[in-house]
Amino acid sequence: MRRTTGELIIFWALPGVAIIWIAAFFLFPGFLPPMSPQWSAQKVAAFYVNHTSRVRYSMILFNWFCVALIPILMLIVERMRGMAHRTPILRYCVIGVAGAAPIAFLTATIFWLLAAFRPDRPPALTQLYNDLAWITFSCGVPFLVALCLFLAVAIYLDEQARPVFARWVGHFNLLIAIALVPAGFAGLTLTGPFAWNGFLSFWVKNVAIALWLVVMALVLGETIGRDRLAEQASA
Amino acid sequence: MTTTERDVSRASGEGSSGHVPGGRDIWFFVLFESLVFTSYFCVYLFNRTQHEQAFLLGQSHLLLWLGVLETIVLLSSSWAVARCVQHARAGRFERARREAFLTAGFGLVFLILKIVEWVRLIHMGDTFTSSQFFQYYFFLTAIHCVHLLVGFVVLGVLVYQLSGEKRRSQVTVETCATYWHSVDFFWVLIFALLYVVR
Amino acid sequence: MKRPALLDDPKRELWLAWYATIGFYSLYTVVFFIITRTQPPGKPWYSPNQVVGWFAGRHEDLLIGFALIFILGGLSATSIALITYSIRRMTVSRAFAYSYLILYAVSAVPGFLFICVAMTVGAFRPDRNPEILRWIYDLGFLSFSGTMGVFLIGSLIWMLAILLDKNRVFPVWFGYLNLCNGLTEVVVAPSWIFHAGVFAWNGVIAWWINVAVFGLYTGAFILLLRNMILREDFGTGPMPDLPPEEGRGHMLAEFMAP
Repeated sequence: MRRTTGELIIFWALPGVAIIWIAAFFLFPGFLPPMSPQWSAQKVAAFYVNHTSRVRYSMILFNWFCVALIPILMLIVERMRGMAHRTPILRYCVIGVAGAAPIAFLTATIFWLLAAFRPDRPPALTQLYNDLAWITFSCGVPFLVALCLFLAVAIYLDEQARPVFARWVGHFNLLIAIALVPAGFAGLTLTGPFAWNGFLSFWVKNVAIALWLVVMALVLGETIGRDRLAEQASA
Repeated sequence: MTTTERDVSRASGEGSSGHVPGGRDIWFFVLFESLVFTSYFCVYLFNRTQHEQAFLLGQSHLLLWLGVLETIVLLSSSWAVARCVQHARAGRFERARREAFLTAGFGLVFLILKIVEWVRLIHMGDTFTSSQFFQYYFFLTAIHCVHLLVGFVVLGVLVYQLSGEKRRSQVTVETCATYWHSVDFFWVLIFALLYVVR
Repeated sequence: MKRPALLDDPKRELWLAWYATIGFYSLYTVVFFIITRTQPPGKPWYSPNQVVGWFAGRHEDLLIGFALIFILGGLSATSIALITYSIRRMTVSRAFAYSYLILYAVSAVPGFLFICVAMTVGAFRPDRNPEILRWIYDLGFLSFSGTMGVFLIGSLIWMLAILLDKNRVFPVWFGYLNLCNGLTEVVVAPSWIFHAGVFAWNGVIAWWINVAVFGLYTGAFILLLRNMILREDFGTGPMPDLPPEEGRGHMLAEFMAP
């Protein structure tokens, strides 16, 4: 029987970590409203001069805690063991992207922190770091898209009387994957809904990620509860 | 016979005609690496024709006698590993092991000579980045040394094989020897190309 | 709607992963070689103004091509998963499988993320200072070609696993081919030193010969993975790791019926 000791600790860490993520999100002065790619280098440099502290602290928070997503993804991987699959392939796929996804985000925080480290730099350089950060943040969705696709496929292939996750969770993951796609095109334009501050690349993408976290947390909690009952029953 | 058993017996060459020492796989490796090295040599030769004078000047900084010495050392190591295979085939495992250590010893001498040579050249101002010829020289000798270092690991496997009663497999012994011969073979080519061809 | 035959195949997960692998490598090749023309790489000796010209000549191509990788690049995990699975089938410690999984999971970041980000950042603001643009150009190409550790160690791990494996999941010659591939990672290292010549990031030795070896290696393992899936013999035993339960899923019942 699968061991579930300690899983509840990781699981209940999620709300705590989520609060930190949300706090950092609000603390970073460049998200609400999102900075425009059209700003001149001077304006970008001025932004970092005026908001140096907030950029630094919010990004340090993100830098500390963004990889906290990984243990939670591993909880999902453990639930996948209960799926009616003949091989661990899909679990390996999820593990494969779980590693890279937070690292992509981590790289973005590094660029933001660099921009804020020496705000008196030539504005062209500050703009460069700002661009690198935003493109990494907005366009760096491949691992999340793949994660949702792998989960959806895993759920669809989980054909048993009581599947680990209900089928609608599979549909949900598919929808989230589609919602994340437009952000991949954030480099193509400086204005409009696809730009990194636009409706699709910023709002839809980030709301989708938040929604995914909330829904998957709820579904995960329910499943962990079931597994623990089963473990206790067989003990 | 299951697929697994069939594959293993085929690899060990038992009962099948056309037995190749060490199995066909290691020869695939030698062939593939030969192709890669040949491509490097072609690039070198082509570039040499473009800058013949500069290359000749670079080559004149090399000590031919040192190259010859290194070649003799490596050829001796190949001779030692061949004797090792002979002893192993005849069941004289203790002597085979000694020959294996001798092979490694010769290999170590070669490595030391190489390092001495590199240090001398660097002191003379000939480095990886100083001229086109020395780009090729250091690259080819360095990549060969990487093969040599891997060769030490392979010799370790060889000694390990020869040490244990149950572990001994003539095929593995021959595979390791084949690898070592390929290290020697590549050196002879490099030696001919860099030191001799003028 | 009629159920496609693939879905009833017990090996369907493996086939899905394998076709996704083919899809990923095809996409990768098309994007890098045809759409964005970043491979073969741009010349390292370009002056800043020539770099501006390089980006200008590829403006939409870079942005659209790499957007495709931004969306679908995560599919690279399928080939990693299949190879990890193959190592799990070997008689070696699971440490090999997990090492491989992690090494290649993180390899995606220098493997395509950095070049996508760098080239997108370079292309989407064409009026940037040319010196800075050249720095971005260097970042893109060097992070792509010059980050070797992951693939070197990964190849060695896979090689060791194959050579030690008694189940012969993969043929021994492919184990040796891993060594050849690992060595190309050593050969590419001088690209961090030279701006021109055969060892530069676009050089005959550091790029052309290396890519030829890597291409052969990739083609070989895709075919070998296919052979492995074809040989796969699950039998009719119970699903791994599930508690015994009645009437669990029509597929299992079908197989266990007399």
